[in-house]
Amino acid sequence: MSGANENSAIETAWCPGCGNFHILEALEHALDTLGTDRRRLVLVSGIGQAAKLPHYAKANVFNGLHGRALPAATGIKMANKKLLVLITSGDGDMYGEGGNHLVHAMRRNIGVKAFVHNNQVYGLTKGQASPTSEPGFVTKVQVDGVLSAPFNPLALAVTLGVSFVARSSAVIPDHLQTMMQEAIRAKGFALLDILQPCVTFNKVNTYKWYRDRVKELPKNHDPRDRDQALAAAMTWGDEIPVGVIYRGARPAFEDAHPILSGAPLVNAFTQTPP
Amino acid sequence: MTTNIRICGAAGQGVQSFGDLLARTFASMGLHVFATQSYLSRIRGGINSYDVRIGSEELFSSARKTDLLVALNRESMEQEKANLALNGVMILNTAESGGNYLALQMDKLAQAAGGTARMANSAGAGAVVSVLGYDLDALHKCLTEEFSKKGRDIVEQNLDAASRGYRAVAGHEGLVRAPKPAGAPSTLYDGSTAIAIGAATAGVKIVFSYPMTPSSGVLTALAGLSHKYGMVVEQAEDEIAAPNLLCGAAFAGVPAMTTTSGGGFALMAEGLSLAGMLELPIVIFLSMRPGPATGMPTRTAQGDLAFAAHAGHGEFPKIILAPGDLRQAFDLTRHAFELAHKFQTPVILVADQFLTDLQKNIPALPDAPDYINLHLAKKSAPGKAYERYLVTDNGVSPRAVPGGDSYVVSASDMHAEGGHLSEDFNVQIALQDKRMRKITGILNEFIKPEIYPEPAGEILLCWGSTYGPCRAAVNLLRARGRDVCMVHFPMVWPLDGAALAPLFEGRRVIAVEGNGTGQFALLLRQAGALREFSLLPRYDGLPFTAEFIETEVLS
Repeated sequence: MSGANENSAIETAWCPGCGNFHILEALEHALDTLGTDRRRLVLVSGIGQAAKLPHYAKANVFNGLHGRALPAATGIKMANKKLLVLITSGDGDMYGEGGNHLVHAMRRNIGVKAFVHNNQVYGLTKGQASPTSEPGFVTKVQVDGVLSAPFNPLALAVTLGVSFVARSSAVIPDHLQTMMQEAIRAKGFALLDILQPCVTFNKVNTYKWYRDRVKELPKNHDPRDRDQALAAAMTWGDEIPVGVIYRGARPAFEDAHPILSGAPLVNAFTQTPP
Repeated sequence: MTTNIRICGAAGQGVQSFGDLLARTFASMGLHVFATQSYLSRIRGGINSYDVRIGSEELFSSARKTDLLVALNRESMEQEKANLALNGVMILNTAESGGNYLALQMDKLAQAAGGTARMANSAGAGAVVSVLGYDLDALHKCLTEEFSKKGRDIVEQNLDAASRGYRAVAGHEGLVRAPKPAGAPSTLYDGSTAIAIGAATAGVKIVFSYPMTPSSGVLTALAGLSHKYGMVVEQAEDEIAAPNLLCGAAFAGVPAMTTTSGGGFALMAEGLSLAGMLELPIVIFLSMRPGPATGMPTRTAQGDLAFAAHAGHGEFPKIILAPGDLRQAFDLTRHAFELAHKFQTPVILVADQFLTDLQKNIPALPDAPDYINLHLAKKSAPGKAYERYLVTDNGVSPRAVPGGDSYVVSASDMHAEGGHLSEDFNVQIALQDKRMRKITGILNEFIKPEIYPEPAGEILLCWGSTYGPCRAAVNLLRARGRDVCMVHFPMVWPLDGAALAPLFEGRRVIAVEGNGTGQFALLLRQAGALREFSLLPRYDGLPFTAEFIETEVLS
């Protein structure tokens, strides 16, 4: 598959059948549906297989260090709040190495959209456990199986009252595209946890495993109700709810901040970029 | 003519506000002021001290001996009295008279003025100006300015407390010889403020720091200026986040900086390397204190230079500036942003507790915004796709920012000119060579060291904040007939050994450094600029003084 970035046509580094292809396709469709001006779009990532996605899309790209997509994205958004700053990175990058940044980006509720490819395993480093791997998951490093509890990013996001918290999956691309559009439209921080099969290293959480479990939230789910949202975020098992779990009422950092709420900082410099 | 006044007391007793008040008062009188602080890593208790040295000529160093010691408690007097000059005088905050000191009940005097014990400093300052033989006018004016926002009553009570302190030592007016006002500038700055004003006027718009002594003064000063200059000053979740956020801000076209000390800087090393790879202009302010690890948080050192010069994995150009005095702190902060943007690479501005806390009255710093050139690319040629990392002769590629007509692609992985990932060995060589060619341009802009007062057979080699004490030491040594000069480097990395070697040829070099190994001299040796040197180190956590250097050179 070739990338659409006008700078170069790039062969992807993903395995055939990788969930990342569906996520990339859903993202392209979401951006096209919304009519996003790609020159005002910055795709930010850290390191990992998911973190390569920005190179295959038509966008400005900031592909930084492992775990550090969030501070970089925060810096970009602070500098020019008119840009659409969107992170596409993996569970190891966002929930493991970058865990502290996730906590504080959500505390700030900065207007960055974080699309986390959550395949519950480390792909690029070849198959170790991730922070969301289920207990008992055996790898070449976790030879006795994972003992630690899986990290629940959605529950944390709900408790911090961030603007938009949702879950979808690469196995339901239409739903995923809708969630991406909703996340981009929302003000403030958006966390979209995307359940994704890893065809090479995760033989447990397969396409079939996810298809059998993901289920849209009931029509009467109220994303403004924190208790309902927390209950949905904590549900994991035979049924895994997908959809907009929570919509927090806090203002975006850039709207609440006395300096940032004015003109974009970058406007202070008169040079016009090419 | 110089006089050294030392305020000492327990942390929390108001040593700092007392010292600040005196420094402002003397500066407003036209005396030259050189004020330094020594404090412990605690909020209450222990002994803190604050030296206000005044002179009829510009001062470059603090003094070891005290001419007038003001002790806010007996414990601090007992500790400090060994440092009293031969004709020195002590004022003790006590009701018990009869000792070899002037007894002054500062809090009682303040209460008698209708104020609270918190106004004790005003009473104490009144006594100090009296003992030095000055009148109350300047002190009263400073107190009026300081408290005018708090209402007429508070102002009147402070003025009265100062007058009562002044009268309480009646009969001792002029007991301590003090210099006459000499037309010195009334504008008093500390190093932190000079750096903050330099950054703000240069156009920094994003400051992202985790607090760490002794760098927090700059962070606090920037926060105080944030509304005036339209800066976002945000507290970082950790020092790992800081350079990464700066890279994001710089990528999007906004000058950004962070402030830290040794331990925090260590956490920034990977992000520093990122700025080198993405060729982004970021500025890190590193205020040094003794290490390793947590070390001595409130003390001073020059022990992180070798680490800073080599920080960050891989090879990439990096610039280190080290201001020697307050004006240079302002100028080099601005210059740090200029160089970072011109060469699209990280700049580390290095100082220490001594320089950031140092207060001096100098001509007013220009505080109007005067933004540096961001050196952004002009419009790219039509039909040709923009390449962020275009290989050029001088290694600097045209830099565009997102939001314009071109897509900007940056990756921390090895990348080709367009910014996308590449694993081609030839591309790796071409892009690394391109980045490293910037060093030639940087060396062309190397800031020449200052030779004071003129070349001599013996050189006191120094860098950064040691400027003042070394310069004053040279004067002391030359007065003894010694053929010695100072060579001070305000820019310490990168180094061109061949260009610098003639400075030292045939001369005896004494490296005066706030570390135990002579880190800068070793960098000069590594560059081929210097063969032999003897080391005059200080690593007890205290700043150099002219007298310390003089004694060591003569011993």
